[in-house]
Amino acid sequence: MAQARTHTRSDGQGARIGSAARVRGRIHGDGDLLVEGQVEGDLAIRGDLTIAEGGSVTSKAVEAQSVTIGGTLEGDVSATGPVRLVAGAKVRGNLRGSAVAIDEGARFSGQLDCEFDLPPELGGASRNDGRDGRGRPATRR
Amino acid sequence: MASQASNLSVIGRTARVRGRVTGAVDLEVQGYVEGEISVGGDVTVDAGGMVGASVHGRRLVVRGAVKGDLTADEAILLEDGARVVGDVRAPRVAIAPGALVRGFVDTGANGEAVRPGRAQAAAARPAPATLKAVAAPVPAPQAKAAAKPVVASHLAGAAPSPSKEATPRRPPPPVVPALKKAKGQIAKKKER
Amino acid sequence: MASTVIGAGITIEGEVTTDEDVVVAGTLRGKLTAKEGVTIEHGATVEADVAGASLVVAGSLTGNVTAAERVDLQQGSRVIGNVKAARVTIADGAQFKGNVDMDV
Repeated sequence: MAQARTHTRSDGQGARIGSAARVRGRIHGDGDLLVEGQVEGDLAIRGDLTIAEGGSVTSKAVEAQSVTIGGTLEGDVSATGPVRLVAGAKVRGNLRGSAVAIDEGARFSGQLDCEFDLPPELGGASRNDGRDGRGRPATRR
Repeated sequence: MASQASNLSVIGRTARVRGRVTGAVDLEVQGYVEGEISVGGDVTVDAGGMVGASVHGRRLVVRGAVKGDLTADEAILLEDGARVVGDVRAPRVAIAPGALVRGFVDTGANGEAVRPGRAQAAAARPAPATLKAVAAPVPAPQAKAAAKPVVASHLAGAAPSPSKEATPRRPPPPVVPALKKAKGQIAKKKER
Repeated sequence: MASTVIGAGITIEGEVTTDEDVVVAGTLRGKLTAKEGVTIEHGATVEADVAGASLVVAGSLTGNVTAAERVDLQQGSRVIGNVKAARVTIADGAQFKGNVDMDV
């Protein structure tokens, strides 16, 4: 089991954590990351994160550009790009991204937080939608 | 399905509904609905549709804007263009690329098993008060009965789906008794 | 098919407004305002004030009616309320109780 920190390389190659690997610790860097094994710890990468089927990530914070999940994820995700859960994914946590897609067959439980405005007839401004930070209704109309 | 087609209600593009919409029907929203939607059939919110209401049905397909919680007995599909602020819960949930959501999402949820948020919302219930101010007075028993589908559905959360699927297929009850019984009837159907 | 259809089996409690036409076959309690024609079908129950360009009633309506053009109460209809329209017809077999005002 690898402990402590793991850097991804910024030469475009990215990093791959193979299916037999288990990592405990923080992973951060510039490239892409493919997780086929098990990771316990925070991820902060500037590239794209892919959790393959069979891969699992348990984390308090996952930051990446785009995130594609086919395996298991427990933790909060904050992506600058899109987040996508494909069939077979099992995800618990809060997801934030430019867009979030959940395919039929993916399992998910948690908050989705996309930035957008409702039409003015329904209240308009993105943060004045009557919901608190957790997305729960602050007050019912 | 001819019987389903005749059971389809449409809120047209320029229509605005402020109030509660219920029934063992399919509903297509092309216009604007504010309040509450709770039907036994499928609900479609078209690309131009706007719903400021909680929505419950058997299957929901959303292509427009919704500010309210979405729950379904079978499945919820948010398609490209959907804008949803609210919780989304159903045994099957799919969110297509291009659909935007802000709220709690639970795929694989028992469609009725929301409870903490909705029970509080049902108890708080400012919506019927708004109805009374705006529309012809809604008798108090109706407002209380309206809470029944929420509670009874919760109790029947473990009921097998076939009994729920059977609900929309039944012919609508006779008109006059349905005035008072409709909501209780929906609750009873779900309890079976 | 009308732009807005409140089908048999559906109940709307509240206010409905539209720029187009409406067919009510279900139950409506509240208020209905349309810019075009309103049809209340046989079997429908409407407890509401209704306004439209024209109104055809074959079901049950309790409430006041205002139509710019005409109101037709068909056989089998039951209407309790005041009717205001340029033209009003009440068919044989229609039940009606209320005032009729054709001074538009």
